[in-house]
Amino acid sequence: MNRRRRFSFSGFLILLILGICVAAPLLSPYDPYAIGVADPFSGPSAKNWMGADDLGRDLLSRILYGGRITILIAMAATAIALLIGTLWGLTAGVRRGWIDEFLMRTADAVMAIPQILFGLVAISALGASVISLPIVVGILLSPTTARMARSAVVTELASDYVVAAVASGTKRSRLIISEIMPNIAPQLLVQLSINAAAAVMLEATLSFIGLGIQPPNASWGTLMLQGYAKIWNTYWFVFFPAMAVTITILAFNSYGERIRISMDSRRSSV
Amino acid sequence: MGRFLFRRATSSLSVLALSVVLVFMSIRILPGDPVLAKLGAATEVTPAALKALREEAGLNRPLLVQLFSWITHALHGDLGVSYFSQFKVTQLVTERIPVTLELTFFIILIAVIFSLILAPLSALRPGSIVDRVIGYFTSFGLSVPGFVIGIIFILIFSLKLQWLPSRGFTPISESVFENLKLMILPSITGGLTATPYLVRYLRASMLEIKQSPFVRTAEGKGLSNIRILFRHILPNSLVPTLTMLGLIVGYTLSGVVVIEYMFGLPGIGSLAIESSFKRDYSVIQGVALTIISFFIFTTFVFDVLCGIVDPRLQLAKGSQGEP
Amino acid sequence: MKSALIVNGLSLSVPSARGRVAVVDDISFDIPTGSKVGLVGESGSGKSLTAYSLMRLIKDPVRIDQGEIFVGGKEILGMKLKEFRQMRGNDISMIYQDPMSALNPIMRIGTQIIESIQLRAGVNRLQARKIAIELLASVGIPEPDRRIDSYPFEMSGGMLQRVVIAIALSGEPKLLIADEATTALDVTTQARVLTLVDKLAAERGLSVLLITHDLGVAAQFSDEIMVMYSGKIVERGLVSQIFSNPVHPYTKALLNSRCDYTIDVTKPINSIAGQPPRPDNRPEGCVFSPRCVHVQPQCRQEVPPLISIQDRLSACFRAEELFEVGMVK
Repeated sequence: MNRRRRFSFSGFLILLILGICVAAPLLSPYDPYAIGVADPFSGPSAKNWMGADDLGRDLLSRILYGGRITILIAMAATAIALLIGTLWGLTAGVRRGWIDEFLMRTADAVMAIPQILFGLVAISALGASVISLPIVVGILLSPTTARMARSAVVTELASDYVVAAVASGTKRSRLIISEIMPNIAPQLLVQLSINAAAAVMLEATLSFIGLGIQPPNASWGTLMLQGYAKIWNTYWFVFFPAMAVTITILAFNSYGERIRISMDSRRSSV
Repeated sequence: MGRFLFRRATSSLSVLALSVVLVFMSIRILPGDPVLAKLGAATEVTPAALKALREEAGLNRPLLVQLFSWITHALHGDLGVSYFSQFKVTQLVTERIPVTLELTFFIILIAVIFSLILAPLSALRPGSIVDRVIGYFTSFGLSVPGFVIGIIFILIFSLKLQWLPSRGFTPISESVFENLKLMILPSITGGLTATPYLVRYLRASMLEIKQSPFVRTAEGKGLSNIRILFRHILPNSLVPTLTMLGLIVGYTLSGVVVIEYMFGLPGIGSLAIESSFKRDYSVIQGVALTIISFFIFTTFVFDVLCGIVDPRLQLAKGSQGEP
Repeated sequence: MKSALIVNGLSLSVPSARGRVAVVDDISFDIPTGSKVGLVGESGSGKSLTAYSLMRLIKDPVRIDQGEIFVGGKEILGMKLKEFRQMRGNDISMIYQDPMSALNPIMRIGTQIIESIQLRAGVNRLQARKIAIELLASVGIPEPDRRIDSYPFEMSGGMLQRVVIAIALSGEPKLLIADEATTALDVTTQARVLTLVDKLAAERGLSVLLITHDLGVAAQFSDEIMVMYSGKIVERGLVSQIFSNPVHPYTKALLNSRCDYTIDVTKPINSIAGQPPRPDNRPEGCVFSPRCVHVQPQCRQEVPPLISIQDRLSACFRAEELFEVGMVK
């Protein structure tokens, strides 16, 4: 079997974005909170690569630090969604019967609630913070993961090697951990990527309507909110965070697609 | 047909019930006290006064009792009273719903029109330049948050070109022209947000149907590609897509919230956001119920439509064939 | 017109790990006007693909590499597709293997027939509907005026196949191709459908190419039979000749391995040792040589051409021998 390791641009991009955000303190030319380092609403210049906001703060630095927050929240949310979703789906897929029915109906119900609305409701009760946002977003993203995990488990449990193993006396719980999980890992990875993209999108949207990270802290969404309010003064303020968000989401989506396609082709060539 | 309707209805209702309970529970269980929020940090609050206010709002009763009471009232059309404005929630909702409905309608219309143009173009010659370009647009469109699209449009059409206003609303009763003028940007924003999903799905569905044996039969008859695409492939692709469309309405309802807020449209979406800031749970609940019911009802309608387009779906397991 | 169909040097290929490989390898044959020819072969022999090439229904990744096909005297592979579409249904028509999936499931069968009729005759809907009802009656569907509004899922396989036949004949073609048209049906229905096609062919002066893996079906229906193996035509002759004295080892082995009530149940079933080769793994020389009981060194080196023996064809170096031996018996 020929394994061609092709360079994955989107994968590289993701690593780049993650790296930049982690290294924000090292990379950012100014203190993101420092007021007046440049003329308010100035566009991109040699001194300030992305210009400055309404209070004269360097936009590039704000975006770098903002990225940290956005990515952090998105990653946490994705992890939570993965955890909850996988447990949810695995339980349903292994137990079957009315537990399965109930769990999946609940998944339908959660998916029936329009996402922003749920976010709205939850954040207004919990308050917006770096803790509450990942939890809320994570819960919102978990039903799709649960669905996927359940169907993957059900398919695997029906396959020959599992039936054989169970017949020869292997305990199901051991099977799940040692055999099934590795086999559904690629699908989980795809889900992870897609969820990460959705998490970034949700966080940005919630922050944009004011229910996310509050000033003076700023995620990309918050920056866009501030930028939008000042859009008549300059559009650079809202443009750069918007680009950052879009590129990040694109990267995660593309990566997920990539894996899904290579998974499909591997399956069909076997 | 009757049995089909019944089964679909019961399924929808059970999902609705679960969602409502979920929403209600999340509000009540989560920390954050509406009464405290109402009072603000201003005055000294005595525990007694707090207790009195709570009792007045009925928040002291056991959860389940609150839930049942609310549901019963809701079924009678009474969604309670806003904690803040003392307006009846039902009144607030009914006042603002037409705006949201109009917006949602236009968004879906635009999304459907765009998709019915783009998807067949893609599916007619898969792999062609047309197909690939449309594919890039779709990928991109999926990754751009809806409000960013809105921002771009506002930048171009309001800021630079000064063709269209960026905020505000005029009811149809006052002026149809003004109303439509103000609806254009929000509708296109929402429409463009929903279109990529629909195009992707419809395209995939059509390509799959293209492999079916009956398409070969149609070709063998001597029909042209276009005719086959529109008379044979498209209708068969609509069935799974209709289900998807129901989901898209759901996404749209989500996006509507943000769009109303951005463009200053007084619909129930912006109502929800305003209430969240004020922690006015009563209103939030009412809006949530309305939106969720609407969504589930729409999915139900689309399911029924599916059954009409594809009569096979109406049958229970096993068909009544003849020898 | 002596021949309703002439095929010259047709080759089809598919991609594989070793580049493109032939699935139909340089075959040539003809169908005399008014005759019924059966094309027999096992799965993977290339018979269905041959049929699809005649209708130019070959899609990627399968490709027609070379060849000429003359339908009613006109060469169709060189034509523009738009021009050929006029011929589909009018000069050459096809009926398919699985009637259940060969029809649009959400369209009434009447509409599907009328669509075909309106493509040609300049008739309005009402007239087309009348013609469709007559057509349904002629293929033996009871209560055609009621049935015309049925959906495919409301009808049985046998009836649906009749509908497919009706559609195929709506354009009054001269050449009909039946691709495994009875494979998906039960034996009784099979017989009925074959009888129907036979009757219609006689009534309308059709030439028919029947594709099947079932020797019995081919024998019942056709005047002549062509046997196909691994992309090549290996024998051709009248039904009676093929069955009484096959002159190709493959045909002989096929006939030997038949199971019917006359065989000895105490002995094991005769089967042909080995498997047909994969398209990317064909042997040098005669493609059947690895499994042939009459094999000689020459067979492994040269590809046997189609030799004429009296009025039969065989792709075997020892065809004459086999013929003589067979005549003696």
